Amino acid sequence: METVLQVKNLSVTYRNKNRSVQAVRDVSFELQKGDSLGIVGESGSGKSTLAMAILQLLPDRAAEVSGQCRFCGRELLGLEPRLLQELRWKELAVVFQKAMNALSPVHRISTQIEDIYREHEPKASRQEIRERAMELFQMVGLPERVYRLYPHEMSGGMLQRVSIAISLLHSPKLLIFDEATTALDVVTQGQILEEVLRLESVMHMSRIMITHDMSVVAAACSRTAVMYAGHMMEIGDTVQVLKRPMHPYTQGLLRSFPTLRGQRRELESIPGTLPDLSVQQPGCVFAPRCSCGDGRCHAQQPPAVRMEDGRTVACWQYGGGGHE
Amino acid sequence: MKRYVIRRIFSAILTVFIVLTLNFIIIKAAPGDPIKSLMGKDTNDPALRAALEEKWGLNEPAYVQYGSYLINALRGDLGTSIIYNSSVNSMIGAKAGPTVLLGLTAALAALVVGTALGIFCAQHEGGIIDGLLSAISYALDAMPSFWLGLMLMIVFATHLGLFPTSGMTDPRSSYTGFAHILDILRHMALPALTLALVSVPGYFRIAKSSVVQVSNEEFITTFRAVGMSEKKIFSKYVFRNAILPTITTFGITMAFLITGVTLIEIVFAWPGMGRLTMTAINQRDYPTLMGIYLVVAIGVSVVMIVVDVVYALFDPRIRYE
Amino acid sequence: MDRRKHAGLARVKEAFLYDWQFRAGVAGVVILLALVVAAPLLASHDPYEFGVDNLAPPGTAGHLLGTNHMGQDAYSMILYGIRTSLQVALISSLISGVLGVLIGGAAGYFGGKTDLVISELINAFLMVPTFFLIMLIVALFGNSITNVMIVIGITNWPGNAKLMRAQALSLRERTFVRGAVAMGETRLQILFKYILPNGIFPVVANTTRGMAGAILTEASLSFLGLGDPNIISWGQMIYAGKNYITTGWWVSAFAGAATILTVIIFYLLGDGLNHVLNPKYAFESRGK
Repeated sequence: METVLQVKNLSVTYRNKNRSVQAVRDVSFELQKGDSLGIVGESGSGKSTLAMAILQLLPDRAAEVSGQCRFCGRELLGLEPRLLQELRWKELAVVFQKAMNALSPVHRISTQIEDIYREHEPKASRQEIRERAMELFQMVGLPERVYRLYPHEMSGGMLQRVSIAISLLHSPKLLIFDEATTALDVVTQGQILEEVLRLESVMHMSRIMITHDMSVVAAACSRTAVMYAGHMMEIGDTVQVLKRPMHPYTQGLLRSFPTLRGQRRELESIPGTLPDLSVQQPGCVFAPRCSCGDGRCHAQQPPAVRMEDGRTVACWQYGGGGHE
Repeated sequence: MKRYVIRRIFSAILTVFIVLTLNFIIIKAAPGDPIKSLMGKDTNDPALRAALEEKWGLNEPAYVQYGSYLINALRGDLGTSIIYNSSVNSMIGAKAGPTVLLGLTAALAALVVGTALGIFCAQHEGGIIDGLLSAISYALDAMPSFWLGLMLMIVFATHLGLFPTSGMTDPRSSYTGFAHILDILRHMALPALTLALVSVPGYFRIAKSSVVQVSNEEFITTFRAVGMSEKKIFSKYVFRNAILPTITTFGITMAFLITGVTLIEIVFAWPGMGRLTMTAINQRDYPTLMGIYLVVAIGVSVVMIVVDVVYALFDPRIRYE
Repeated sequence: MDRRKHAGLARVKEAFLYDWQFRAGVAGVVILLALVVAAPLLASHDPYEFGVDNLAPPGTAGHLLGTNHMGQDAYSMILYGIRTSLQVALISSLISGVLGVLIGGAAGYFGGKTDLVISELINAFLMVPTFFLIMLIVALFGNSITNVMIVIGITNWPGNAKLMRAQALSLRERTFVRGAVAMGETRLQILFKYILPNGIFPVVANTTRGMAGAILTEASLSFLGLGDPNIISWGQMIYAGKNYITTGWWVSAFAGAATILTVIIFYLLGDGLNHVLNPKYAFESRGK
């Protein structure tokens, strides 16, 4: 199995004049070809920062990235800009959340697609680009006429499909969806997820989906990673993580979702709030809010331990000596 | 697009109409005899009085008078100046040229310089130059234009002798051709500089905030993820998006600019409408003042229509409403 | 939940501690007010008194900032001029504020034809330079300082009206307003009890900018000879000093400097107020 992405001890620190904030701490995971990984977490968990770090889109001045991040065997951190530029979009692409301005509002879609395409194929003709775009539009279910439109003339769902089509222009090996369905209504979201799954099997793509919505992960990702306050708490096969969550935080997250069927019960939310990421926490970062923490949890950070079923958990309950 | 332009023109016509109405109401509401106001406080010529009464129909009910005033104005007849006894039209017409020259030059200079500096500071936000320019901009915004003109005049004209202190041309010589143009430019330097300086803060602020805002938009991040060069991202995508508020600002600052031109012309004795306004005020030449107000209103409205149309050319979202 | 307290006292205190513009603006206004009160004590001469030294440069014979062509002491004139400026700023802003809030609020809340007419009126006014209108009216009706204040006030309401109207439009849809409608309160009651008090905040910040503008307008009017010659005002000083600019630059220069400083104080106060009243604005020292 080909390893598309290998992340080891990746950390991101934002520095400004007064203080530094640890947005991502020591995150490690691997992505095999054809995998689809969903990274879930609350706002402020660092999941978007992680994505931006992998994509090398964090501004040098403000953010410090350390660790390792290998894409198809090549180390991305510190890669020469020229070589990085060759990778961009051709191998590694991203679809952002559809905000008002996912694309330039004053330029036509065609203009922007042409510009994007020509970054890597400078000699491509208009006709060529248009043909490729039409191919992709058909794949994502967009009518041809969209090509000559301006962004504001389309609905949210259409814009999102355009973003997906654009990300597929050069058939990248890895596609990252950063909260891409968050702004859409449930029906459109469902349609888009279906299409993404279909595309994936056709194009042999690997995918990472960043979201705070468990249902997206449950529906569309083969593996799930749970992030909290910059740390990766648990990562493993989706069915197992969601059905039998091991980490207390994952359990808390799942408990706070009401079920459609089954008995009515009180909604439980996780007590407390996110910690201040500018202050170094001794011990497990979730300990202050954890219902089953003990002395060691507050004093030492738990290592990420690989379990029998293939998942990795970072909690003193599961390894490194067990509960006292 | 057509509907948009038509709506704009309609708005402008409405504005002019409101101005005319205001003129009328003010004259009627003013203390004293309106005819006296129109005649001049010191004259008492019965023939003139009779002629004016007839023209303005003062013996008729108010709405008829209003009607006559409107019709006269639409015909282009803005009345006769009390002092000079020539039609207000011709007086304004003669003086409009120098005012437009000065005003437009200063406006364009402020637009270009203010916007360029704003863009620069947006790209180097937080730096020393940003801090300095922002502070200077703040101070310029607080300055009465005529005061700045006076100060510049003292420094550059009186003490350093680099520029003339007044007028548009050197009255003692008669240059022609290129030398003539140069002479005008020399005379225009200080007034244009003053006016441009007080207009720069508006453009600076709007350009800076606009560039910062657009630079943080999602599509910019997308283009970076595509590998597009910062240069291209800026020159094609940031610029086109960020320039929109600047275009709007140009229209909005027109009103302030006209006020500024008037005051600056007085400081530097520039032979334009500003001077005309000054003398008209001194001598309470109401027909001229009303005429100036009307012409200024029309001028600004026309400029705003043009600005709005240009804006629509740049922003497709507006075009298709 | 009705957000009657947009800016609780806690936020105001926070603003004072962390927002330098608010601090500077408030401090500046306090200093100005103090100077107004203390003017008779601080002035070195009676500003109306015509002295013997005409056009004395700064520093001569006890005249800190020199004298003008009539022998009046510039320093004392500037001190007494603060009162005029503040008066003009306050009264004209009050008038334009009240008018703007009432008209804009009514337009936004009542909607329909009223709104249509008033909106077009507002747009027309905002397009045309009001200064010419002010000039015309003052020329016709007389150039006393009272007139000037009133005229500035009644020509500046459209800006405030536009803001208030936008507020009214959005407040109209709020639950607590709809609730009041359902409970049978009359339109006027709702306007005065809910719409105006809740929507007034951005207008307050805008009014501060209006005050700065009023001071500049008064100065411009005086410069054109439309000021009140009986009152000490900075604008008048610049106007009077214009004719002596080459021999006695200090009169115009210092009067202008005083104007600039005062206007900046009001700008800072306006900026600070905007920060206070905008619930989304986070003060710098607050971490996230």
